[in-house]
Amino acid sequence: MNPSVKFILVTLSMLVIAFFFNPWTPLLFWLGIILLQLTMSHINWKLWLLFMLPFSIGAFGYLWTTVVFGAETGGTIIWSFAGIDVTEEQWARALSLAFRVMAFSTLSLLFAFTTDPVKFIMSLMQQMKLSPKLSYGVMVGYQFLPVMKDEFTQIQQAQRLRGAETKKYSWQRLLSMRRVLIPMLAGAVRKAERSAFAMEARGFTGEPRSAFYHPVQIDRTDWLMSGIFLILLLTSCIGGSWLS
Amino acid sequence: MLEEIFSLDGLSFRFPEDEDKTLTNISFSVHRGERLVLTGPSGCGKSTFLYLLNRLYPDNCDGLVDGKIILFGKTAEDYAPGEINHRIATVFQDPDSQFCMPTVEEELAFTLENLQTPFAQMEPRITAVLEETGLAHLRNTVIQSLSGGMKQRVATACALIMEPEVLLLDEPLSHLDPYTALQFVHWLEDLQQASNLTIVTVEHRLDCWGSFFEREIQLGYDGRIVADQTFIPRQPILFPERQSAAQPITLLLTQGLSVTMKDKQLLDPLEFSVSQGEVVAIAGPNGSGKSTLVKALCGIYKPKTGTIRADGIGYVPQSPEYLFLTQSVQQEVAFSGASSQSELNGLMASLRLEEVREAHPFAISHGQKRRVAIAAMLADKKPVLLMDEPTSGQDDDALLELFNLIDQRSREGTSFLIVTHDMEFAAGLADSVILIKDGHMTGKFPANEVWSNEKLLASHHLLAPKGVVRPAKSFA
Repeated sequence: MNPSVKFILVTLSMLVIAFFFNPWTPLLFWLGIILLQLTMSHINWKLWLLFMLPFSIGAFGYLWTTVVFGAETGGTIIWSFAGIDVTEEQWARALSLAFRVMAFSTLSLLFAFTTDPVKFIMSLMQQMKLSPKLSYGVMVGYQFLPVMKDEFTQIQQAQRLRGAETKKYSWQRLLSMRRVLIPMLAGAVRKAERSAFAMEARGFTGEPRSAFYHPVQIDRTDWLMSGIFLILLLTSCIGGSWLS
Repeated sequence: MLEEIFSLDGLSFRFPEDEDKTLTNISFSVHRGERLVLTGPSGCGKSTFLYLLNRLYPDNCDGLVDGKIILFGKTAEDYAPGEINHRIATVFQDPDSQFCMPTVEEELAFTLENLQTPFAQMEPRITAVLEETGLAHLRNTVIQSLSGGMKQRVATACALIMEPEVLLLDEPLSHLDPYTALQFVHWLEDLQQASNLTIVTVEHRLDCWGSFFEREIQLGYDGRIVADQTFIPRQPILFPERQSAAQPITLLLTQGLSVTMKDKQLLDPLEFSVSQGEVVAIAGPNGSGKSTLVKALCGIYKPKTGTIRADGIGYVPQSPEYLFLTQSVQQEVAFSGASSQSELNGLMASLRLEEVREAHPFAISHGQKRRVAIAAMLADKKPVLLMDEPTSGQDDDALLELFNLIDQRSREGTSFLIVTHDMEFAAGLADSVILIKDGHMTGKFPANEVWSNEKLLASHHLLAPKGVVRPAKSFA
């Protein structure tokens, strides 16, 4: 699927969901997204669960704090526990918040897990008219990441040999990072200049280009997926309002 | 009469922040199909000159240009940005920072997109250039996974796909080992003959190029042309004769040393010893385990089995600045606190560091940085020094300086283990050679035995050093 289209859909859904305060809309939407992911994508579910773990804890935290510390609203008390009375409205609001967190995180993960970053940048440039200067800049940065990582370990190793002791506390370690970062930054500046020269020497001027070798197109799947997505969004909005 | 491609008249160039001119009064012209090399000491403005030809300068540095540059019969200023780069392609020195796309094919496509090539022509042009350069099998390979030599070829292919009339090369061999460098030169020669390219190269390691060039322009320290002459094939620099300083005291002894990482045997068990004052070269193909050995010796990697016995092993990485921790050279050398003030002063004096005593270690020249690293290691009381690729990208003067430095220190009792691809350097300096292949140490040989054994060298992807083989041939 076209990454730009996906990006727009994801952003749109988030904005829309943000305006519904009943618990049903985010719940329906969340279940729908998971269903979509189950049926239409191949992702590493183990990794997915691992990533979802902090979000789930966060969602539960929201639920708990809203229920326990929420403003007094009045209304029917549905549940009483250790002197805390939970009203119906509080409970609904808490659930709404929690599900919203779940829905948003699932949605973000859906995007992150199924999008190739290179293709995403290419698509941003081709469909969203992002300037080539910025897009290729990001691309070069992306290529440098593994190199920077190697450099980082190399510098650390070399400095440890000099007897630069590893600090006991993490804040001290954070401060001594400076020693590693300075040589790294010095190298990065040099590298960046060289890359810029290399690109320019190959005729890169930052002008919009007239043709692409790998055009990232919008095809039938995109329309289809957008349709499914919008239907899901609409159903959960209407269904949510109707159920509450 | 051949067509004139470049013509320079009284060209001078000055960086805005500098007092002195980088280039002064340069006049010459280049004809189509010529193979020209620009030589001169480091920092004489060779690269600057190249950047003036492909119009990266003066726009990117606000430099001040005097005189005339005429490219293809038109003054340089009249070209729109990027326009000239379609006709003049450039290959740079560093194989790691020339690419912006993941795979070879996409990188080539990036170049074509820059040229606003219509979509229908892209595919055939990419296929054609890959065929022509013999890289067709790498089409979908991830560039960062390639070796330095292959990256340089890909960079050249990216330059050639523009169908340029001129190819500018900025020290293209400096990161390649001699074997790969030789292959690159042969490959370039075939390409040049097939397409009648004009080639202008900046280079200081002329011995690798054989008789590739036709003409040589020499620049002096002050950025003036010293000589403009027919190119004569060069011999590598001859290092002075050197007496081994090895003494019968063992400084380093390893036994059954092996390294395993993530269940992968990187280094088979190996053993060797190094005497005081001995200079050992460590050689072998790329990825054979040379740097693993070095890292195991100095304690970055934990050996799986075996023992290393030594009083202290210091390590000078390829970029010495990785070691630096403090704000001044003096503090840097004194960092460990293992040496007394008078010892430190002695070291600083013998390594000629007194003039930069107060300078920031990042702000001195490359040679000085390395001397600081060595001084720091010696001040740590580490009598065995490991050096990783100290010769790459160094000009003749720097190589000689390094040679003298190692020679002198070895006579004062320091042992050296040097990882290097530069066989001339190794031949001039090493008392013995450790050959490694596929994580297995073939053995530690006396140096002269290795240089004459071509079979042994070839099986380790090495070339016999030029200065040593010739006399052997003339004996036969």
